[in-house]
Amino acid sequence: MATLAAIRQLSLSYGGAAGTPVLENLTLDIAPGEFVVVVGSSGVGKSTLLRVLAGLAQPTSGEVKLDLPVDRARLPVALVFQEARLLPWRTVRGNVAFGLEALELSREERQRRIEEALALVRLSEFTKRWPWQLSGGQRQRVGLARALAVKPSLLLMDEPFAALDAITRATLQDELIRVWRETGVSILFVTHDIQEALYLAGRVVVLNGKPARVTRDVRINSPWPRNRAEVASSPEAASIRTGLAEQLADGAGI
Amino acid sequence: MTVPSVAERSWPARVAVVFMARPLQSLGGLVLFFALWELASRTGLIRRTVFPPPSAVPEAFWGEFTEGIWLETVQASLGHYALGLLAGSLLGCLAGSLAGLMPRLETAQAWVIRVLRPIPGIAWIPFAILWFGVSESAAVFIIGIAVFWINYFAALGAVQAVDKDLIEVALAFGHRSLGARLFKVLLPAATPGILAGVRTGIGQAWTSVLAAELFGIDGIGQRMMQASGLLNGQIVLVYMLTLAALYGTIDMLFVAFHDWVLRWRR
Repeated sequence: MATLAAIRQLSLSYGGAAGTPVLENLTLDIAPGEFVVVVGSSGVGKSTLLRVLAGLAQPTSGEVKLDLPVDRARLPVALVFQEARLLPWRTVRGNVAFGLEALELSREERQRRIEEALALVRLSEFTKRWPWQLSGGQRQRVGLARALAVKPSLLLMDEPFAALDAITRATLQDELIRVWRETGVSILFVTHDIQEALYLAGRVVVLNGKPARVTRDVRINSPWPRNRAEVASSPEAASIRTGLAEQLADGAGI
Repeated sequence: MTVPSVAERSWPARVAVVFMARPLQSLGGLVLFFALWELASRTGLIRRTVFPPPSAVPEAFWGEFTEGIWLETVQASLGHYALGLLAGSLLGCLAGSLAGLMPRLETAQAWVIRVLRPIPGIAWIPFAILWFGVSESAAVFIIGIAVFWINYFAALGAVQAVDKDLIEVALAFGHRSLGARLFKVLLPAATPGILAGVRTGIGQAWTSVLAAELFGIDGIGQRMMQASGLLNGQIVLVYMLTLAALYGTIDMLFVAFHDWVLRWRR
């Protein structure tokens, strides 16, 4: 199987090699087109993993190999944040254009990309709004459009729906699956919500312990769209829960 | 007989209440202020020679205006006001932003600034006159110094307060150079704070204009001193009110600009 991103023996400690270890000997492969969800409790180091992949944090040891095209018209990875992090002085359109401004694109191509990304997240009617005029869900859509516009090979999502209400979250989960299937982008999605992981993922990776390592790596074969109750009671779900619980008990015993 | 509905009858009144009430009340207050002042003068409570009534102002203004003195005086003041304000604001914003961007630079200059900052712009008048003579340049220098510090601290604070999360967005989306971070995130994010400093400077600069002119540089302050020497209170009043009008107009224009630039804010 081809590999898009290979994370090998990745370790990261805050405050240098002698500092607090967050990730230890973490190894993970992501295949092209895969939808991988990393589950773990708050503070386990999920976001740190994404930050390493996004180039925002340096690992203490180990390596990350990204088999991504070197192309001045695309960014290899793009990040969607938990709190949208839109630039308040830019309109919806301006925010989607933000990543494109770092790329070598013709004016027409840039316009085309913006329109395409906004259509993907169904915000074509909102291009001239300021961020404060949007709902939480709409802001996340803009954040997603901003990331999609740079045509990343790997889309990193850091608990993007955690701050939304349940109904909006459910809608956006469905939208995300649609976007994933339409674009074929690989997704590495981080969450602490097991239900969310089971509903979205092609593969669930359980991260746990201090320092964190992969304790379960479970493929979810149920086709989309999924039945929430069904996936929640599947054997895979049981395995993920056990994986999380084991490590918590382990950690409590230290 | 049909009685007009409440809504029909009251909407012009409502409009009047919403759109007119506050400006009208404020205007009423202003009229009352001038009326009391006039009354105090006519009843002999305040002697005309000590403090002239408002009714003396139009005539005095007309005299100044037709002789061409008013325009010349205002132009002179506005000239060094604009130059000093522009130079002080630009340099202050630039230095403040740089210090905000580079913590080491900020640390290195911290105590230098502790020494220089408490010195009021006006305290530089003796040196300004020594270096530039009693000239326009001296006024520009004095105004510039006062405005510089205001803008320096506003810009420093604004740049330091920029949300680090937004800078991370720039890094995550390929804007990694200092220039890109500066123009894509730091400066736009710091704009509200920087503009607040500029506005304070617009007001403070007038104090320096007057101070410089009282020392003999051409302009409103000097004309006021001349009029005072001739015991012509009306003319002093004309220029005091001129100052109020100039400041009010410039501030209003700036606020319009400010609101347009920051139209992205709620």
